[in-house]
Amino acid sequence: MSQLVPAIGFGLITASILAIAAVGFTLQFSVTNILNLAYGDVMTASAFAAYIANHAGVDIWLSLLMAALFGAVFSMLLNRFVYFQFVRRGTRLFGMIIVTIAMSLIIQNVLLAVFRPTFFSYEVSASASYTFAGMILTGSQLAIMGIAVVAMVSVHLLSTRTRLGKAMRATATNPGLARSCGVATDRVIDVAWLLSGALCGIAGVVLVLNTATFSEVTGANFLVPIIAAAVLGGIGQPYGAMLGAVTIGLASEVAASVINPSYKDVVAFAILIVVLLVRPQGILSEVASGKEVAA
Amino acid sequence: MPTSSADEAGRPMPHLLVDGLSAGYGGAPIVHEASARAGLGEIVTIVGPNGAGKSTFLKAVAGMIPALAGKVRLAGEDVTNMRANHLARRGLGYVPQVNDVFDTLTVADNLAMGGYLLKRNEIGERTEKVMEVFPALKRMLNRTASKLSGGERKMLAMARVLMLEPSLLVLDEPTSNLSADLSRVVLEEHVSRLGESGAAVLIVEQKAQAALAISDWAYVMAGGVIRISSAAGDLLARKDLAEVFLGRSTGDGEVPKAS
Repeated sequence: MSQLVPAIGFGLITASILAIAAVGFTLQFSVTNILNLAYGDVMTASAFAAYIANHAGVDIWLSLLMAALFGAVFSMLLNRFVYFQFVRRGTRLFGMIIVTIAMSLIIQNVLLAVFRPTFFSYEVSASASYTFAGMILTGSQLAIMGIAVVAMVSVHLLSTRTRLGKAMRATATNPGLARSCGVATDRVIDVAWLLSGALCGIAGVVLVLNTATFSEVTGANFLVPIIAAAVLGGIGQPYGAMLGAVTIGLASEVAASVINPSYKDVVAFAILIVVLLVRPQGILSEVASGKEVAA
Repeated sequence: MPTSSADEAGRPMPHLLVDGLSAGYGGAPIVHEASARAGLGEIVTIVGPNGAGKSTFLKAVAGMIPALAGKVRLAGEDVTNMRANHLARRGLGYVPQVNDVFDTLTVADNLAMGGYLLKRNEIGERTEKVMEVFPALKRMLNRTASKLSGGERKMLAMARVLMLEPSLLVLDEPTSNLSADLSRVVLEEHVSRLGESGAAVLIVEQKAQAALAISDWAYVMAGGVIRISSAAGDLLARKDLAEVFLGRSTGDGEVPKAS
C-alpha cells in the first residue's frame, strides 16, 4: 500500500496533462466536426517551438506561453490550408480522419528531418520538492496542476458565460441553425481552432516537462490516452473530457504502481471498454443528437 | 397551365420576391424556376404532396442551400445566395422542420442565441417580450432543450426566431410531429398572430387545410414546380384539387373548411 499514495500523486499529474489535452481535442471535434488525429503531432511541434525559445534563453514558462500561441496559430492554419480544403470539396468524417492521419505522418517526419532522431529536454531551473500527505511533487509538477486548473476554469467560464462560448456550443450542436441566428460560423470555427490549438500547445509542453525528454513521436504516443479520456467522457463534452482525464490518469498510474508499469495503457483501455459497454455514448454525452455526422 | 386567381393585384407590395428560383442538393435541381412572393402582414402557404420540393424551396430562400438559378429579393435588395447569418441581419427568421432548436443548450441559452445579434442589454428585454407570447416557456428556462416534448420544442423554436423580430418569417412545417390540437394552436394562435404583427410569413405545411384557413395566399407546388397561385380561401373552396394536392383523403385535415 505504501506505493499507492505517491501513485495517486503521479495520477493527478497525468490527469492534469490529459485534461488539458483532452479538453482541447474534444472542443476541436465538437465545434469543427473534424477528428484531428494529428493533434498529438501538433503537441510535439509546439513542444519543439518551446524548445527553440527555451534554448535561446527564454524562461520555460514564457516558452510555454509561446508554445500555446504556436499551437493556436498552427492549428488554425492547418485547418484553413489543409483540412478545410477537403471539407469544402465534400470530404466527410471518415475521409477526414485519413487526411488527419496523413498530416500526422507529415508533421512527424518534418520534425524528424529538422531536429534529427534524438531526445531533447528543456532547461528548467531545479526547484524544490514538496510533500503533501505522502505525495512528493516537484515545483514543475505543482505548476502543471495549477495550469490545468486555470485552463479548465477558463474553458468553463468561456463556454458558459460569454457570447462567444455560447456561439461555439451552438455551432457545435447545430451549425445551420447557428448561422440562421446570425452567427458567423466560419469565424467561430476559426476561434475554436485557435483555442483548442492553444490547449494543444500547452499540453505538449507540460507533457514534456513531466517526462523530461522528448522526440518527434512523444505527442503521437500520448494521443491514445487523450482519445480514451475524450471518448470515456463522451466525445464533444469538455466536462466529460475532464472527468475522463481524471479517471484514466489516476487509474493508469495506480495500476502502474500496484500491478506493473507496463500495464498502464492496458488498464486505461480496460476501463474505457467497460464504461463504453455500459454507456456507449460516454459518461456525459448528449452531443451529436442533432448533428450531421455522416461518413 | 397554372391557374391563378384574378385578385393577385390586391395583394400587398412584395417584401419577399422570389423569381424563377431553381434549387437542389448538389445533383439535379429539385425545384424548377419557382416564383412566389409575400408582403408585409401577409401569410403565404405553400402546399403540395410529399417530395414536391417545398422544403427545398424554403431552404434556398433562407440561405441554407444555394440557389442554382433565379433571384431572391428581400425588401427590394437582391439577397440571392446570401449566407444565412447575413440574411438574419436583414430580418429573415427561419425555423427548419427538424433540428429547430439547439439540443445541448438550455431554453434560456436557446433564446439568447436567437438574440445573438442584439446588444447584451436588449436580450433580457426581448426574452421577456417573447415569453409574453409563450408564457409556458417561463417555467422551463433552465431545462436543456433535448429534454423538451415535441410541442414545447416547437414553441421554443418559434420563440427563438421571434427574438430578432424578423420582418420575414420562413417556417418549414411548423406543425410536423404535433398533435392535431397542438397544430391548431400553433397555426391559429401563433402563426396568425405573426401575420397580424406585420411580418411577412412564408409557410410550408402538410396540414394543408388548417394552414390555408389562416393564410391569405397559397401556392401549390408539385414536382418542383409552382402549379397554382391563388387566394387561400379560393383554393380551399376548389373541390377538384383537394384529393391531388391537399391530401384530404389521407385524413390529416382535421380542421373544418373555412369557407
